Amino acid sequence: MGDIDVEVLKGIHLSIEKGEFVAIMGTSGSGKTTLLNIIGCLDVPTSGRYILADREVSNLTDDQLSEIRNEHIGFVFQNFYLLPYVTVLENVLLPTLYVGGRKDNAEKNAWDLIKLVGLEGRAKFKPNQLSGGEQQRVAIARALINEPGLLLADEPTGQLDSKTATEIMSLLKKMNEQGKTVVLITHESFIASYAQRIIQIKDGIIFE
Amino acid sequence: MDRIFKIVFQSIKAVRAFKLRTLFCLLSVALGISSITVIVAATEGAYQKAFEIVARFGPDSLMVIGGSEQARAAGQRLKTISLEDVEAVKQTFDSAYVVVPMSSMRDATASYKGQKYQTLIVGSTSDYSRAWTWPVIGGSDLTDEDVKGLRNVGLIGQYVAGELFGNEDPVGKYILIKGLPVQIVGVLSERGTSPSGERLDDRIVIPISTLMRKLQNETKYVSAFRIRFVDQKNLYSYLEELRTFLRKRHDIPEGETDDFTIISPKEIIKFLVALTGSLVMFLGVTGIISLIVAGFVLANLFLLSVRERANEIGIRRSTGAKKRDILLQFLFEAVFITTIGGLFGFLLALLSSQLLMSIAEFPIHFSWKAFVVGLLLSWLIGIGFGLQPAKKAAELNPIEAIRG
Repeated sequence: MGDIDVEVLKGIHLSIEKGEFVAIMGTSGSGKTTLLNIIGCLDVPTSGRYILADREVSNLTDDQLSEIRNEHIGFVFQNFYLLPYVTVLENVLLPTLYVGGRKDNAEKNAWDLIKLVGLEGRAKFKPNQLSGGEQQRVAIARALINEPGLLLADEPTGQLDSKTATEIMSLLKKMNEQGKTVVLITHESFIASYAQRIIQIKDGIIFE
Repeated sequence: MDRIFKIVFQSIKAVRAFKLRTLFCLLSVALGISSITVIVAATEGAYQKAFEIVARFGPDSLMVIGGSEQARAAGQRLKTISLEDVEAVKQTFDSAYVVVPMSSMRDATASYKGQKYQTLIVGSTSDYSRAWTWPVIGGSDLTDEDVKGLRNVGLIGQYVAGELFGNEDPVGKYILIKGLPVQIVGVLSERGTSPSGERLDDRIVIPISTLMRKLQNETKYVSAFRIRFVDQKNLYSYLEELRTFLRKRHDIPEGETDDFTIISPKEIIKFLVALTGSLVMFLGVTGIISLIVAGFVLANLFLLSVRERANEIGIRRSTGAKKRDILLQFLFEAVFITTIGGLFGFLLALLSSQLLMSIAEFPIHFSWKAFVVGLLLSWLIGIGFGLQPAKKAAELNPIEAIRG
């Protein structure tokens, strides 16, 4: 009632190969968030198709989308989005709660990841005891725990100073070098320069 | 299953993390559950007490009191039952193994060596202790010769004995009852209080003949008699026979009310249930209202919590939680809180019933029933009032939720 359908993304044809590091740049309102939601299986396109890892996603049920997010996608957000009332370790373990089958060694993997992102000794801390950069490292470790093929980073350095931002970007680059596909959303060209390929989006239309 | 355990564990963490929400929900549930628990325990207590009293009164016994029920209600105890009536009943009813007449005198002054005390004097026969299943524990019982010979002997209740004799052994001693010297020959065992709160051990039992002739100047009428039947099952048909028999003896025309009252175990239960019924009603209404209030407190706090934790829900959804995972988490949080609330409520009920019992001597009996009822109700509230907020949480759109 009263809602007007606005076409946000217009005739986008975009394919991202496995192992790529892609930056999507655009100002706010350009449609980049909508694109990210579709790539991240948080939303489905009203028309058109989205194929993720050889699977048509547009017509899946909510439960199936949840499973795909759980298995294939790791999110890193601008505001970190950690659960405030559990420890770093438990935050990292969060995606393992929703794994279909039994996942062995989840806790050991979490410890390894915490070490990998440089937070040894912080595992039992609560998020509010950490700096912004540290919180984002926790978020990256959480994004990696289920070994997804795709990392989606939405303005991951938006809340961080430039020194910390550099550290976070290096970490994402390292992940890409280890074989993860990374899709980065940003409006800063300095941050986008870490990617191998930069896509501009403006008024729902993309340019390379 | 593994997944459910993990989700339950998440719920427990949230319950611990959101302390204020937990505290308020828990308190309101605990209050509601405690009053319901007290009610269940009180109802059970009342019935237990009723059966105890009936067992003591004798499930095979009837008591016939002079005067109609109406006259008794007005406080008059009319003397309508004569010793001949009692004798006739004894001759006629073969099925009765004890028929015992009784007369009583209230507020009679008994004294021993300057110690004075006002007590109840009961006149009866050598069957008194048998009629009431009230054993004589010290000295000896009254005998038929005591009754026939109008002897000045008596059995003393524990309470009067304490008042008059202190620690001294009363057996063999003489006391004065309204100036009449009476030798105490036996001590009755302790009996406690009647359902209406009367101290039963505050009495002295003497031969009925002695009481009537020497203290009441009475030759014919007694206050009451008690009758016990061998065959307990037919008690209520004997009751009708007895009524017909007495009406005929007293020449009461059809349509007129009895000039005597028959008390049966059923009457006693009726009386007790009426006694506790009003309190149970009051507590019941209070309990149900407070449970409903508790439910609304829970539902409201959870709705607020869902809004406050939209971000958390978004994070969980984006990392792969399904709608049902979110639903279960919030539902478990609610049930977990109400379960603890229920347990606290049970403890609260135990404490408050201690208070009730000491103030009102109200019979309360706790059993697994009260506990189970409380627990089931707390689950019902948790699920009933937690479901809607949990559904709302599950239905949040992850994109909107995560933007908070």
